[in-house]
Amino acid sequence: MGRKRVRKIKARAPSRKKKADWYELGGRQKLAKLLLCGTELVTNIQVATDIREIHRRVEEEEIKRQRLEKLENEVKTSQDKFDEITAKWEEGRQKRIPQDLWDVLSTQQVHCAALIEDKNKLISELQQELKTKDDQYVKDLKKQSDDICLLLERMEEQVKNVMKTFRQELSYIEKAFEIERQELLTSNKKKWERALQAHNAKELEYLMNRIKKVEDYEKQLNKQRIWDWEEYNMIKIKLEQDVQILEQQLQQMKATYQLNQEKLEYNFQVLKKRDEESTVIKSQQKRKINRLHDTLNNLRSKYAKQIKQFQEENQSLTSDYKRLVMQFKELQKAMRHFALIDEKQFREIWLMNEEEAKELISRAFDVDRIIHTHHLGLPWTVPDFWFLRNVGPISQQQQKSATQILEEVLMQTEEEETEEAASEAESYLDLPKQISAKTTRKILMLLCDESGFLIESKLLSLLLPLEKNECYLLKLDAIFSALGIESEDDLYKLVNFFLRYRVYHSPSSQEQTSLMSALEPGEKRDLEEQKEESLGEGEAEEKEHPPSPMLIHPNDVLKILEAFVMGLKKPRDSRAPVKLKHVRDDSKDSEYWEALTTVISDTTQNLWDALYTALEKYHLILTQRATLLIENNSLEQQNTELQMLLQQYLDSKINSELQVPPTQVFRVPTT
Amino acid sequence: MQETLVTPTLSVLSRSSITMQDRSSTAGQASSTGPQPSRPSVIPPPSKSKGWKSGANVRRMRRIIAEDPEWSLAIVPLLTELCIQHIVENFQNNPILKQLLPEHQQKVLNHLSPDLPLTVTANLIDDENYWRRCCMQRWPVCHVARHGGSWKRLFFERHLENLIKHFIPSTTDPAVILDLLPFCRNYVRRLRVDQFLPPVQLPLQPWNGELSDSGSEAEMEQPTGDHYQLRDLVAGLSHLEELDLVYGVKDCGMNFEWNLFLFTYQDCHSLAATIKACHTLKTFRLTRSKVDDDKARILIRSLLDHPALEELDLSHNLIGDRGARAAAKLLSHSHLRVLTLANNQVRAPGAQSLAHALAHNTNLISLNLRLNCIEDEGGQALAHALQTNKCLTTLHLGGNELSEPTATLLSQVLTVNTTLTSINLSCNHIGLDGGKQLLEGMSDNKTLLEFDLRLSDVAQESEYLIGQALCANREAARQRALNPSHFMSPITAKGPENPVG
Repeated sequence: MGRKRVRKIKARAPSRKKKADWYELGGRQKLAKLLLCGTELVTNIQVATDIREIHRRVEEEEIKRQRLEKLENEVKTSQDKFDEITAKWEEGRQKRIPQDLWDVLSTQQVHCAALIEDKNKLISELQQELKTKDDQYVKDLKKQSDDICLLLERMEEQVKNVMKTFRQELSYIEKAFEIERQELLTSNKKKWERALQAHNAKELEYLMNRIKKVEDYEKQLNKQRIWDWEEYNMIKIKLEQDVQILEQQLQQMKATYQLNQEKLEYNFQVLKKRDEESTVIKSQQKRKINRLHDTLNNLRSKYAKQIKQFQEENQSLTSDYKRLVMQFKELQKAMRHFALIDEKQFREIWLMNEEEAKELISRAFDVDRIIHTHHLGLPWTVPDFWFLRNVGPISQQQQKSATQILEEVLMQTEEEETEEAASEAESYLDLPKQISAKTTRKILMLLCDESGFLIESKLLSLLLPLEKNECYLLKLDAIFSALGIESEDDLYKLVNFFLRYRVYHSPSSQEQTSLMSALEPGEKRDLEEQKEESLGEGEAEEKEHPPSPMLIHPNDVLKILEAFVMGLKKPRDSRAPVKLKHVRDDSKDSEYWEALTTVISDTTQNLWDALYTALEKYHLILTQRATLLIENNSLEQQNTELQMLLQQYLDSKINSELQVPPTQVFRVPTT
Repeated sequence: MQETLVTPTLSVLSRSSITMQDRSSTAGQASSTGPQPSRPSVIPPPSKSKGWKSGANVRRMRRIIAEDPEWSLAIVPLLTELCIQHIVENFQNNPILKQLLPEHQQKVLNHLSPDLPLTVTANLIDDENYWRRCCMQRWPVCHVARHGGSWKRLFFERHLENLIKHFIPSTTDPAVILDLLPFCRNYVRRLRVDQFLPPVQLPLQPWNGELSDSGSEAEMEQPTGDHYQLRDLVAGLSHLEELDLVYGVKDCGMNFEWNLFLFTYQDCHSLAATIKACHTLKTFRLTRSKVDDDKARILIRSLLDHPALEELDLSHNLIGDRGARAAAKLLSHSHLRVLTLANNQVRAPGAQSLAHALAHNTNLISLNLRLNCIEDEGGQALAHALQTNKCLTTLHLGGNELSEPTATLLSQVLTVNTTLTSINLSCNHIGLDGGKQLLEGMSDNKTLLEFDLRLSDVAQESEYLIGQALCANREAARQRALNPSHFMSPITAKGPENPVG
């Protein structure tokens, strides 16, 4: 509403402003004029005094100037007069006549008096002026007070006027505003009435609407009430029923309660009894517990005893075990010993058997030869079999340790130096054929020289006094132990490795590289087979390529060694445990022995059989003859013997003592 | 029923209130009629209780006692009322105000006596009503508007002014004024002292001889007629902004003596040091004090580069060209906005130096050289300066012996300058031709609102026409002031209008 009102006022403002402005404009101009005129009127006094002051100043200045001039003139004239008088004093002094002097003095006096009179006159004039000035001052004061009075009067008047006019203006403006207000009021009142009427009409409408609505609502309310009443009754009935049901239930519950009570009482009694029983049982149990405690203690002591016992047992067992271990070790020793002995025995037995077999064979051969030459009259040649040459048990070539090989190599080369033409020894066959002992030796020497760091310093100091060869040997031994080379194969591998390295780095021998690459260091059998194959080749090649280990630069040795050690690691690990067992391969033994049995072929045997049968027959005959001969001989002998015996017996004294003398018995055969 | 229950306490209270009432009534009669109107509301209960007490016990049960003419239904005043009354009574000894509730504070303040010593009230009471009563009691006419609308400030300023006015050096104890310092230092912003009494001479000398003689003698004998030294006082007033001094005696009438109006060098030096030390000073007026060139130079030298000074009034003195030159120097070394050298002895050279300073000044708004004698030379110099100046709005050159040449130059200035709103050339010899030229200049000017040409020999016709032009300008300015879209310049133009009106 407030906002609306403001808007309305704003809308009405122009019309009102017109009148107010009109009043205001007229009034303001009038007022401004009044103010201006008033201030002018008031300030006029100031201006008038100002101009009066200016005039006064001008006059004052003029008068001052005149006065000064006058004074100066006066001073001048008086000075002149004074000078004149002083001059006359001189003149008077010269006067000798008293009359003259008196005259002069009197004139001087007159002059002085005149001078003083002049001065006095001037003073009086000035004093007069001063007096007039004083009067003037008084007048001025009066004038000033008058002016101030006038000023005050005018100011008051002005104030009164201004007040009056302002009041008038105010009243005019007020009147104008009043009229305007009246107009506004009437118009607003009209509007208000109109609005009121509209409002009343609307109010009526609203009232009607409201009445209608009220009726509607009352109806609805009644409906609602009735509905609620019914609902209420329904609920009431239902609830009453519920109450009845609940009461019944309550009764039932009470009955059950009674029942339960009795039951519980009974239970209580029972439980009491049980309690008593349980107390009895408890005491029993307690006693039992005591007993069990006793047993437990006993058991504990037993247990402790047993622990002691077992500990002792354990100790004894451990000592037993130690003893057993010792025994086992001893046994092993014995085993080893026995193995060695067995081997020896085996070898001896083998040799013995072989000898026997060979003896038999030789006998067979002899027999065969005899049969062939003597009986059949055929020429006989000695059959040449490999097994015949064999001596000792058949076995793989005994693995020699690297040091042994070394020794051999070194010794042999030494020997070689001395006896160049010496035939190839057995040990040479063990070496791969493409590597001569010399190269090996050289390589080893190189290795020994280059890898001195592997040898302990102590050892070195110990080696100093030794011979060159021994020194080398020991050094190499140490180096090999450091490198992990133990067996012959490893040594060969090492040498091979060196050679291969050399070959790799010499482009002229590409064929050999391919050939060498075929030689896998891990596969030994291939190598062995290859050995035999390349027996001839190797030698030839070696001749083509004279062993030049100098091609291997000493600086490369370490690299080679490193590579070798890296390569060696794996195969060595897998082979290590196998080494301990020396299982004899007896697969060829039977063959060997079989072969030994078949030295005499079937044909010869058949021949022999036939011959045997024939000879047997012949023999039979011969034997028959022999037997017969023997028989004859024996019989003859017997006869003689018997004769001798008989003779003896007969000769003995005993015969005589006997009841029946044997002579009697023997009479018969003899007869 | 309630009354019966309360009676025992009431009797005690009523007794005490009686005694208090007695005291207060006697005091009231003795001191003033001021608190009287407030008393009656408090008085009835005790007076009634007296009668009521005299009544027998039988009456105790009755509500209204018909036989007792003093009986009334007015109830015993509230305890708070009594307490407040007590506080008011003993305010001098035990001022309790800040601890009270606001409404109670108001009551206490309304009942406090204006005669309480300032030592109690000065820093405690800020209520304007109380101070208004104090002022009204002491001075019949008070213009609060002149004191920033604050009654307290008015009271302290006028009180201090009174003290200084009646201070007689070497007779009055300076502590009288300095003791007041702690109480008024926060409230005094303006000091308007129009009288400094000279030190007391032997009573024989002034009254014995003639006026002129004694005057001359006094002047001769006592060159050291120093007045009260403001230094300590001004240094203590931390908010002092305006200093308006007249070294002279008021209302001497026929007792006039020259030595009553003596502004000695000692006074001058001390005043210079005082105003130099007062950094809050905005307005400094030293009028009717016979300040000659040398003294003016001393004063102005101390005002050079003053941080706050805006108005300097040295009117009605004896300042000549040298003093004017010093003032010109001050113009370029301060933020001076109003300079008044009215009724001095400034001549053409002084006006020229002022004009030189004015040419490039951007602070000065009003320059008053009324009643000097700058003549055409100085007037022309000022007119030349106004052609470049963009700041000055009010110029008063009344009574300066100006004539036509200045008028011609001024008319040129009027066409060019748009800042001047008020010029006063009254009491000069402008002449008819000069008036016409000024009229020509006015025809192009739209900003000038006042142009005083009274008593300057200008033809009435041109004066009237100039008045018309001024009317038009004023109307335009009014319109500008009404429309906020325009400049503020009309508002500033109204500033100088007020003192004239």
